[in-house]
Amino acid sequence: QSYSFSSVQVEGNATIETATVLSYAKIGRGQEISGAALNDAYQRIVNSGLFESVELVPSGNTLVIKVVEYPQINIVNFEGNKRLKDEELATIAKSQSRRVYSPSQAEADAAAIAEAYRQGGRIAATVDPRIIRRDGNRVDLVFEITEGKVVEIERLSFNGNRAFSDRRLRQVLSTKQAGLLRAIIKRDTFVAERIDVDKQLLRDFYLSRGYADVQVLDASSDIARERDAYFVTFSIREGQSFNIGTVSTVSEIPNVETAEFEAVQRIRSGETWSPALIDNNVTRMENLALRKGLNFVRVEPRIIRDERGGILNVQFALVRGEKVFVERIDIEGNTTTVDQVIRRQFRTVEGDPFNPREIRQSAERIRALGYFSDAQVNAEPGSSADQVVVNVDVVEQPTGSLSLGASYSVSDGVGLNIGFSEPNFLGRGQAVSANVTSGTDSNAASFSFAEPAFLGRDVTLKFSTAYRETSSQNAAYDTQSFSLSPSLEFPVSELGRLETRFTIGQTTLSGVEPTSSFILQRDAAREGITTSSIGYTFSYDTRVSGVNPKGGVLLRFSQDFAGLGGDESYILTSGLALAENKIFKEEVTVRAIFEGGALAMLGDNPSRVTDRFFGNGKIRGFESNGIGPRDLVAENQDALGGNLFAVARFEADFPLGLPEEYGIGGGLFLDIGSVWSLDDLDGGTTANGPGAVDDGLHLRSSLGFSVFWDTPLGPLRFNFSKALVKQDYDKEQAFDLTISTKF
Amino acid sequence: CTTLYRNHGYVPTDEELAAVSIGDTRDQVDAKIGRPTTSGLLNDVGWFYVQSRFSYRGAFEPKEIDRQVVAVTFTESGTVANVERFGLERGKVVPLSRRVTESNIKGIGFISQLLGSFGRIGPGIIGAQ
Amino acid sequence: CAGFGGSNEKPLESYTAEEIYKQGELKLETERKPDEGIRYFQEVERLYPYSEYAKRALIMQAFGYHKGKKYEEARAASQRFLDLYPGDEDAPYALYLMALSFYDQIDEVGRDQGVTFQALTGMRDVIETYPDSDYARSAMLKFDLAFDHLAAKEMEIGRYYLKRGNYTAAINRFRTVVQDYQTTSHTAEALHRLTESYLALGFTDEAQTSAAILGFNYQSSPFYDDSFRLLKGKGLAPEAKGDGWLARIYRQMLRGDWI
Repeated sequence: QSYSFSSVQVEGNATIETATVLSYAKIGRGQEISGAALNDAYQRIVNSGLFESVELVPSGNTLVIKVVEYPQINIVNFEGNKRLKDEELATIAKSQSRRVYSPSQAEADAAAIAEAYRQGGRIAATVDPRIIRRDGNRVDLVFEITEGKVVEIERLSFNGNRAFSDRRLRQVLSTKQAGLLRAIIKRDTFVAERIDVDKQLLRDFYLSRGYADVQVLDASSDIARERDAYFVTFSIREGQSFNIGTVSTVSEIPNVETAEFEAVQRIRSGETWSPALIDNNVTRMENLALRKGLNFVRVEPRIIRDERGGILNVQFALVRGEKVFVERIDIEGNTTTVDQVIRRQFRTVEGDPFNPREIRQSAERIRALGYFSDAQVNAEPGSSADQVVVNVDVVEQPTGSLSLGASYSVSDGVGLNIGFSEPNFLGRGQAVSANVTSGTDSNAASFSFAEPAFLGRDVTLKFSTAYRETSSQNAAYDTQSFSLSPSLEFPVSELGRLETRFTIGQTTLSGVEPTSSFILQRDAAREGITTSSIGYTFSYDTRVSGVNPKGGVLLRFSQDFAGLGGDESYILTSGLALAENKIFKEEVTVRAIFEGGALAMLGDNPSRVTDRFFGNGKIRGFESNGIGPRDLVAENQDALGGNLFAVARFEADFPLGLPEEYGIGGGLFLDIGSVWSLDDLDGGTTANGPGAVDDGLHLRSSLGFSVFWDTPLGPLRFNFSKALVKQDYDKEQAFDLTISTKF
Repeated sequence: CTTLYRNHGYVPTDEELAAVSIGDTRDQVDAKIGRPTTSGLLNDVGWFYVQSRFSYRGAFEPKEIDRQVVAVTFTESGTVANVERFGLERGKVVPLSRRVTESNIKGIGFISQLLGSFGRIGPGIIGAQ
Repeated sequence: CAGFGGSNEKPLESYTAEEIYKQGELKLETERKPDEGIRYFQEVERLYPYSEYAKRALIMQAFGYHKGKKYEEARAASQRFLDLYPGDEDAPYALYLMALSFYDQIDEVGRDQGVTFQALTGMRDVIETYPDSDYARSAMLKFDLAFDHLAAKEMEIGRYYLKRGNYTAAINRFRTVVQDYQTTSHTAEALHRLTESYLALGFTDEAQTSAAILGFNYQSSPFYDDSFRLLKGKGLAPEAKGDGWLARIYRQMLRGDWI
């Protein structure tokens, strides 16, 4: 039947306004409404979640809406929680003080807290909400928690594994078996999601060893009776291991020949098959196609199986990919960095053909900027079938650092240092850094600015100026130097870059005691010397190009010609060659570095100690100014440095087996090298008379191991080294801590 | 130093273009040579395919050394009226006007931009002297 | 426990809701940081949850948070107000405050405009749900400004491609502005840029059409006489002449302009 009400009243509401109830009820005065409409109004009021109970009582032509409100929460409290702190639980629970209390929400919060404990491995945790009535229809909500013990995995076992032992497979899994250190290690707790990750890890392990048909059937986990331990069993069907048979390349695109692509691929027949091997070569070939500017070229690896012989024949087919174009490049999340700084990392322009390889390389370039904690580049369907929108989602991370510090050291006295460095100045990609340090007798100031896209081109303009006063830490003389150097750096070939620079500087040598060698005293006599030089550095770096994703080569050759203006004329040449590769399934990186330098004086006066090489930081195991020729006759046997230096460093970095989240790795190194050759050899002092300085080539070498630790401060490197071959007058250093630099 | 080349845009090859004949509808053209890189202003009367090749030499401004343009113009009734192919010669060097419409929302100030991105503890602090 | 217990409970308990509310208002006016004032309003709401003051305290909290640029909390408080008192006469202000919290965070054109979209949807809600409230009018104004800001972003990217000589990409961006953002102040410039780009590619008739549209609709805009002079082949307005090498470095590197 139907009603019509002339007036509607609301009873029982204290906090909630009558107007609010009416706005939910939506019943007009004097309006015809059916029974069903009345019920809808009832439903709407109930669904508002504000009332414990709702009743619609039509009496004559007035409708009375009786409501009982939920009480308000006064405070929310957690008891019995040791592992998870109150703050963590407060964020999980949605019921908060000053909000309306609803029993269903409280139950949901209890379940959410129990789930949080389950994630931490405490399957047996129980949480139940309780209410304490307060005056004025208010209520305190308390969550009573019994955490229970952590459920660990007692045994991890496998069946069906003939090729590899249980112990070997256990090393592959991320879940660990509870052992002696069960209290500390978190990864032996049973978490279902981690078991799925382990199944994938097992599959990858077998695949990369040639077992093309491996199947990890399932991972059964049954719990011990006392509910405190799990037994997990993985069942595997290995199939057989395959090797690579014949490798061929064929092209299905007109006027594209296979010769060049054939030359780039690196698979030798007889190698054990692995998906990474195939992927690696597809990358090489597609990068080649990208460099040749071919559009819509895709490399399809086709596998022809020969079951009996355990051989897989691989055929790389150059296939015409479907014609897809980039409609737009949308960049989101850049709250600090300006859009064009990210957009210019793309070589693809809107409207160009879509080349997934190029987009992946651009993503690498964006990540290499170092401004973002995360940068995802993916292609989403565009407005028509053959168009795609490239979506860039970046998450900014703080890049600027302001360091204010005061330092006190016995030799230097009180020092004050203010440092400001911002690699992404105002989000424009410009790098600005300035710092001033001042001590009682050593102070320095430097400023540097770099614009990576000068005038919108791929040209980096750098400008740096530095003033530096060193006092007698490692040498009994003081130096004071000032330098100013603008430079332009630009690409000269696909992988080569050239930097041209102009440097003007002034150095003065002072404070040489009479006990120092004559050589140093003659140097000091020449007072301040200004040098102005032009120079270039050519660098060729294949590690970024992705031709060989596992390693690469870096060559750097630089020369500075001093002499046009200024008091000195010399040619300073230095070179560096680095080759690195990843071996043992890309876990161990081996690296060989050769460095050398030669200072050839053109004028008549000899080289000065401030210009010569000292090999600091090039050969580990020795203090700075620790090696090189010395004037043994003089009492104060400061290192004199040398015009020539050459060093070879052989390094291997490898994981120490600790879980990744600690970010700790290890490394071994062997350094061999020396600093030698002086122009002016007659040393000695006034007291002990003249004496020739031995500036011959004496090799030094040192062996050591290092520990890498990625900290929020930056990648630290602790070097422990032992000098093997050295001169008796060298100064050794067994330990040093440095920021591990990237070349 | 060697010169680097980069291609942008896409122009259908001559064989594909030969297939397009006067009187085709837009869908037929789309099937034969795909959608245009860009099009005219008014209800895409003209479909334009542009492919250009830039040369990058060291620090010099990149120069467009070759451009192929294919213009397919349609009649009011939506059938192909004319297919034109021309190159860089018809393009003009246009001085760009530097007038920019100022947006009235200024965004956050200079100082807060500078301080906004602080927080990374520079490794310099523990570096050797 | 929830943090408000302990010593300062007693004195506040003894005050009436109105006194605490007045104290809160006073604190909000006098102090620069709104936290103190907001604490008082929260106390009103907690101790006297049924009073008229609790309702006004809630909207004042939202206002306080917004004043202190704490946009998340401002939105949460406004949302709670709308849940509890949808029919109240302050509801339009609460909804407007939520949209304003996005609007005040809109950043420079070169940066992420996600907040601009949220501001646009927020302002449209205000205009649609409370069309006759006086907040609707300022919401409309702010809506247009935010919409204009989105057009500015499209233009900025268009100019980026124009300067690098990728004319087709530039044309597509400028056409988006002309088609999707006609009501904004950027349409005139978009049409001029289209004239420049079409001319650079050699589509002289397209260049003339866009210049004609520009002339027809934006006769007085300076962009029109730029286009006009361009088509007449007399080069651009004089100030384009001062485009020396150093001037370009200063503009693009130090001032951060894009063209």
